[in-house]
Amino acid sequence: METADLTHHISRRFNEDLERVRTKVLAMGGFVEQQIQKAINALLEGDSALGEAVALADHQVNNMEVAIDEECSRILATRAPAAGDLRVIVAIIKTITDLERMGDEGEKIGYIASRLATMERPADKYREIKHLGRIVTEMVHDSLDAFARMDVDAALRVARQDRLVDEEYEAIQRQSITFMMEDPRSIRRALDVMWIVRSLERIGDHAKNISEYIIYMVYGKDVRHTSLDDIERALGERNAAGANPGQGGA
Amino acid sequence: MTPPRAALRALGYAALRVAGAALAGALLGLLAGHPWLGIAAVLAAYLAVQLVMLYRLEWWLQHRSVADPPEAHGVWGTVIALIARLHRRKRFHKLRFVQLMRQLQQSTAALPNGVVILNDEREIVWFNRMAGQLLGLRPNIDLGLRIENLVREPQFAHYLEKADYTNPVVVRRSSPSEIFLSLQLVAYGDGQQLLLAADVSRQMRLEAVRRDFVANASHELRSPLTVIAGYLETLAHDPALAAEFAAPIGEMRRQAERMTAIVRDLLELSRLEQTDERAGGTPLDVGGMLALLRKDVLARAQHPREVRVRAESAATLIGRESEIHSAFANLVDNAAKYTPAEGAIEMRWWVDSEGGHFAVSDTGIGIAAEHLPRLTERFYRVDPGRSRATGGSGLGLAIVKHVLQRHGGSLEVRSAPGEGSTFTCHFPPERIRPAASVVVAPRTENA
Repeated sequence: METADLTHHISRRFNEDLERVRTKVLAMGGFVEQQIQKAINALLEGDSALGEAVALADHQVNNMEVAIDEECSRILATRAPAAGDLRVIVAIIKTITDLERMGDEGEKIGYIASRLATMERPADKYREIKHLGRIVTEMVHDSLDAFARMDVDAALRVARQDRLVDEEYEAIQRQSITFMMEDPRSIRRALDVMWIVRSLERIGDHAKNISEYIIYMVYGKDVRHTSLDDIERALGERNAAGANPGQGGA
Repeated sequence: MTPPRAALRALGYAALRVAGAALAGALLGLLAGHPWLGIAAVLAAYLAVQLVMLYRLEWWLQHRSVADPPEAHGVWGTVIALIARLHRRKRFHKLRFVQLMRQLQQSTAALPNGVVILNDEREIVWFNRMAGQLLGLRPNIDLGLRIENLVREPQFAHYLEKADYTNPVVVRRSSPSEIFLSLQLVAYGDGQQLLLAADVSRQMRLEAVRRDFVANASHELRSPLTVIAGYLETLAHDPALAAEFAAPIGEMRRQAERMTAIVRDLLELSRLEQTDERAGGTPLDVGGMLALLRKDVLARAQHPREVRVRAESAATLIGRESEIHSAFANLVDNAAKYTPAEGAIEMRWWVDSEGGHFAVSDTGIGIAAEHLPRLTERFYRVDPGRSRATGGSGLGLAIVKHVLQRHGGSLEVRSAPGEGSTFTCHFPPERIRPAASVVVAPRTENA
């Protein structure tokens, strides 16, 4: 009876540890989300000070990553988690790497935006970037929501969005090429715009990665480098076989 | 407690009836030659009737929500009536409670503001429809999740960390749509918390429109003012100018200068307001800055005889140079303006455990206590006649306040009429770097 209580106690403290790390990951995610949004706003509103502020604040993302990484190592060393708990820790370690890279892309966008703010703005006021930025920030937001809720369906939806981002990316690329051919003076700006679009596309990829970690965390299935339809089929079979998806675990 | 009289009476009747029936049975049995058999038969019949009644009562109690109470007389009737009354009363109270609950829930759900009930772990216990809409919470699914995992704005995290819930925090959410939310936590009961959320996008937009208007208007006013001031300057030096125009032109030049100062300060103020981000900055040599400010004062046509600088620390202040300079210059300028030629000004910079401090003391006219709380308001005048004559814009202290806010500092004013004033700027310790330390890279300063 006493041992049972003890293990219960230990697992409860372990759960608290896990929950705290998860909250930290989401706080880091919230910060990165805002960095990306601010970077895009800096471009759209031509606010060079804001772009600079974003670029300068990226080190905070790095600090958060280091802190969470350390905490994960500590948990691995002291608690030696197994099965589902281990998957959570592994997924967290992977997630923060992607978040950190998103932060880096945000930093790049902020930096370029502050430079573009001093140049003449195009007639369309970066409408396509606004559109793409909207899709990408929503993907980031939704992937973090899915992480908070351990929601596999939402994670799958985010992964599906990535295709849309790729299409937008190519559309803007084609458009930029047309602009450059029409007016060579716009080449410099168009190149900068391509850098930003490229960064946004990368952020979308990272958001997709995070949603894949969520599926891994919940189902214990590595779905990287697998087509979405295959993922859904595999998950469907699992559910049909009556396997417990363990939703809301840890 | 004594049994009710009606029940007692009914019990008496029942006893009489049983006795009467037993007697009748005995008589009938006597006719047949077996009086005991007669009594037994009658009592058995009586018992059967009682059992039937008991069964009917039991059946009714099982189905009391749909069935009417059984008809009965005597003790049974009383008992059933009593139970029915208790039941009715209970049902009435329950109904009223349910109605009250429903009304309460409906009214909270219909509130135009979002309400989320959190437990002591800040996990979501309940939230109304508006909260779901504003914060993107999903009914039922999100119960038990921590609020900060779903409302991830850094400002909100900072607000929770500081644990000072007296004022709401405003966050800008961009998903699913661009919205400004004012969030406030209210603690109640046993560690429970209420999160109130309101959409303040309209106020924020109005505020932005106001700021933009002030900035644009000041900007537009600048060019015509430059032209007017330029022509006045030429006119003033025109030898052909009739003597009687010299005084009016001089006055016009002074007023044009004042307007220029106002427009300049308005622009500066709206620039400070545009970004409410905490200012970053570089390490500033305060001592050097004060020495330059002293020179500026001495360069004035009229200045106090004594202008002292006491830089007691060589520590540097982390801040935006243009902003800090503007704030300090405003304070020193005020001191010089309100101190007579025989007075003295002292600028002091020192560092202690609470941070860095810059103070400007003068032996000027001083300020009455009732004006002190309002000094930093825009265009607030202690003495309207006098300050117009001195040519200030009325925005100087507002600028000082804004600059200090952006640097995490605060302004303290001590003054008494006739005894001079001391304006002190306090900066937090994290803004101070000891002189000897080498700053590796400017980007790590806020960490």
